[in-house]
Amino acid sequence: MRKFFYVKLAVNNIKKNSQAYIPYILTCIGTIIMFYNMCFLATAEGLGVVSDHGSLRFVMVLGAIVIGIFSVIFLFYTNSFLIKKRKKEFGLFNILGMEKKHIARIMLWETVIVTMVSLVTGIFGGILLSKLMILLLFKIIAIDVPFGFEVPREAVLITVALFAGIFILNLIYNRLSVRLSKPIELLKGSNVGEKEPKTKVLQTIIGLLCLGAGYYIALTTESPLEALTLFFVAVVLVMIGTYSLFTAGSVALLKILRKNKRYYYKPKNFISVSSMIYRMKQNATGLANICILSTAVIIMLSSTVSLYIGMEDVLRTRYPRNIIVSSVSVTEEKVEQFDKYINDTTDSMGIEQIDVMNYRSLTLMASQTQNTFKISTDASGISGSTLLFFISVDDYNRLSNTNYTLEEDEALLYEFRAIVPGDVLDFNGLELRIKKRIPSFDLDGYMSAMLVNSCYVVVKDIPTISTIQKALEQEKQMQQLLSYFYGFDVQEDRDVQMSLTTQLRSNLNKEELQCSVDGMEISRASFYSLYGGLFYLGIFLGLLFIMATVLIIYYKQIAEGYDDKERFEIMQKVGMSRDEVKKSIKNQVIKVFFLPLVTAVIHIAFAFKVITKLLTVLNLTNVPLFAVCTLATILVFAAFYTLVYSLTAKVYYRIVS
Amino acid sequence: MYLLEVKNVKKVYTTRMGGNTVQALSNVSFSVEKGEMLAIMGESGSGKTTLLNILASLDKPTGGDVLLNGKSILSISEKEISAFRRDNLGFVFQDFNLLDTFSIQDNIFLPLVLAGKTYDQMNQRLNPIAKRLQITDILSKYPYEISGGQKQRTAVARALITQPQLILADEPTGSLDSRSSDELLKLFTEINQDGQTILMVTHSVKAASHAKRVLFIKDGEVYHQIYKGNATNEQMYQKIADTLTLIATGGVRDA
Ligand SMILES: Nc1ncnc2c1ncn2[C@@H]1O[C@H](COP(=O)(O)OP(=O)(O)OP(=O)(O)O)[C@@H](O)[C@H]1O
Ligand SMILES: [Mg+2]
Repeated sequence: MRKFFYVKLAVNNIKKNSQAYIPYILTCIGTIIMFYNMCFLATAEGLGVVSDHGSLRFVMVLGAIVIGIFSVIFLFYTNSFLIKKRKKEFGLFNILGMEKKHIARIMLWETVIVTMVSLVTGIFGGILLSKLMILLLFKIIAIDVPFGFEVPREAVLITVALFAGIFILNLIYNRLSVRLSKPIELLKGSNVGEKEPKTKVLQTIIGLLCLGAGYYIALTTESPLEALTLFFVAVVLVMIGTYSLFTAGSVALLKILRKNKRYYYKPKNFISVSSMIYRMKQNATGLANICILSTAVIIMLSSTVSLYIGMEDVLRTRYPRNIIVSSVSVTEEKVEQFDKYINDTTDSMGIEQIDVMNYRSLTLMASQTQNTFKISTDASGISGSTLLFFISVDDYNRLSNTNYTLEEDEALLYEFRAIVPGDVLDFNGLELRIKKRIPSFDLDGYMSAMLVNSCYVVVKDIPTISTIQKALEQEKQMQQLLSYFYGFDVQEDRDVQMSLTTQLRSNLNKEELQCSVDGMEISRASFYSLYGGLFYLGIFLGLLFIMATVLIIYYKQIAEGYDDKERFEIMQKVGMSRDEVKKSIKNQVIKVFFLPLVTAVIHIAFAFKVITKLLTVLNLTNVPLFAVCTLATILVFAAFYTLVYSLTAKVYYRIVS
Repeated sequence: MYLLEVKNVKKVYTTRMGGNTVQALSNVSFSVEKGEMLAIMGESGSGKTTLLNILASLDKPTGGDVLLNGKSILSISEKEISAFRRDNLGFVFQDFNLLDTFSIQDNIFLPLVLAGKTYDQMNQRLNPIAKRLQITDILSKYPYEISGGQKQRTAVARALITQPQLILADEPTGSLDSRSSDELLKLFTEINQDGQTILMVTHSVKAASHAKRVLFIKDGEVYHQIYKGNATNEQMYQKIADTLTLIATGGVRDA
């Protein structure tokens, strides 16, 4: 009987607070559905049909981990918001004679109800949606969909365990926060935060410095390899900067405005400045969260979308020709053998080679001081060294339709990010005069060129290359031979290309020619599964983050609404008209809610350059494409944000008037 | 000419669901002279707050008229009404109605800022008032940092600073302990002696005993009124208490 009393009370409480609870439960269900689906994709048997399912699964596991961590933080945050709002209610129970023990029991039942509802609905919904999700994923990675429906046990178990854990954590937090507070505090509840915020000068300065440093790194990082490591440093700095500036910086700025009597005691500024100080105090963390989530959503969506759209570009960058045979350390006789067997294979299959591109080259890593190159004895610092790429002038002329002639001591030079001063190249004592610096160089070696400083050196002939190599590698015993690259396009369709690739592989291997044979078509499948997987993950996380943003905005609006209701009334009594009050409040609310979006866009503008560098690591060099995708994502996101804002603003206005 | 004239004011509330109507005021008429201190008393639900809201132009009556200096306040357009309120009326309420986002000084400045006064002008007006209300020391504090009595004095300062024609007070002592109440009533008497017209609504016999005249409202009408004349506060107190007993038992009717 008594037990039912608490259950009833718990149900009533949830109903009474439905304005706050329904969105919370919906969010729980949403996160559970998403988490289950990621786990599902990470474990589903059905994924086995994808040829490269290892990397796809890896992406999904990564996704599940991100969503898992996010769920813990986010649901904990939402819960703490709920409990703060409800402290007053518990205080009343307490004063009306209910012991804290009993309050704890009510809380337990509330948690049990919320947990049951969310977990059952979430997992059920997740299972129903999983088929759709796998369909979508297969569509994106361009693979035929397998039949069947499955419910992996691990996925269900992991989901239940994680979310039950989260709910228990929240329950513990709620109990502690009620146990540790006095009844009078409980009664005041959400009103205790009404003290005027202090000016935190130090935090403001730290925020400015962090943000400045983050932006500086983002703007000055040139090499993709550095970008890879520095990006995360910049992200952390910008995050610290955002949090400190939103919390401390905004208050500091407003207080400076308030000190200026001529500015402050104007009807318009008087009310907005003083109210904004409080709004910022109460909302700063939430707004900073929204800002960072928005930035993450936009960056993630724009980069995964452009990777996916730009996949053909990427493939072309990676594979300058449809079919590519490449081999390192090849002798002169072997080169002829390569040519022969490749031609034999295509002839026997009746395939014509188009746009043949073949050359021999030597690639060495050297340490550079001014115009002198030496072989680095310690292999540690890639950043201090330069990649040297040698090719003969005959090959170069043939490939780029030029007709340079060079003497033995002459060279053509193309510098990619490396800078060689003067007009002499010094290879450990062997000097070559730079006859000409060529403005562009479009051969293979593209990949590595993106990552490190490189010098492309064109010399008279192959023996010259060997001489240079000897000069550079004096003490080394085993000398590496030149490598050979042979690529060509074919007009035949996908299947023929794939069988040609396999045929070439087996033929060349049979002749014991060490080489790798790559076909664009064969790689396309695995590219699709990796980039498609990332794209899918991007959309998925994007949705999750948007959901979080929506919820935070919604709660902020409710909280603001209750706070403003009273002020709204007083101001009218003191002589402001209804319209004036409404206008002033609307103005402030808009400022508060669009601040994160504007800041997010600024962050993205600063991050743009470093992200393009990161994308080159993933072979995407099409900057305009990325720019367009970013812009489109920002616009769509802003539209969505505005929509959410105006919907939740309705709730707000209903509360205040 | 009277400062304020209330003529046959009626107020009928229609509940939102339609149907039900509540007759809060059926027919209220009285007038206030300049420099008067008037108290209005009545049982809970007799329509005192309703009346005050109408006088404050925060609400419109269903019938009748309200004149301030011979001019109907009902004819003022929606646009000008807040400026009118700001310039002519001062308010002191039971729950102080201070904004927690402003310091005490800024709370007091609020109506003047809205009226477009400069900082120096406002400061000039504030100093004597603050001194008189003994709030000079707390001007830079915030509402959550001061006592109830101090809050109410702040509200009085805010009402006085616009130099209004009429101060309207709804249960001004309702949230105060007896010592703070006494201080506030003494203050009201003093500013009234300086010529300030005050109209207050109250439950408290003690508060009403400071007034020069007390109106009793019952069933939406002015039921009875008594004058203080030369009586002391104590004598007035007794008079009011007696009247209330009579009204409760259905006695006197000579308004
Ligand atoms: N907005 C409203 N809508 C409907 N009825 C109302 C409204 N405001 C007041 N009333 C009704 O009008 C009557 C008078 O209310 P009013 O608040 O003026 O009383 P009061 O004399 O101030 O009472 P108290 O001394 O308790 O403050 C009451 O019956 C009340 O229920
Ligand atoms: Mg009342």
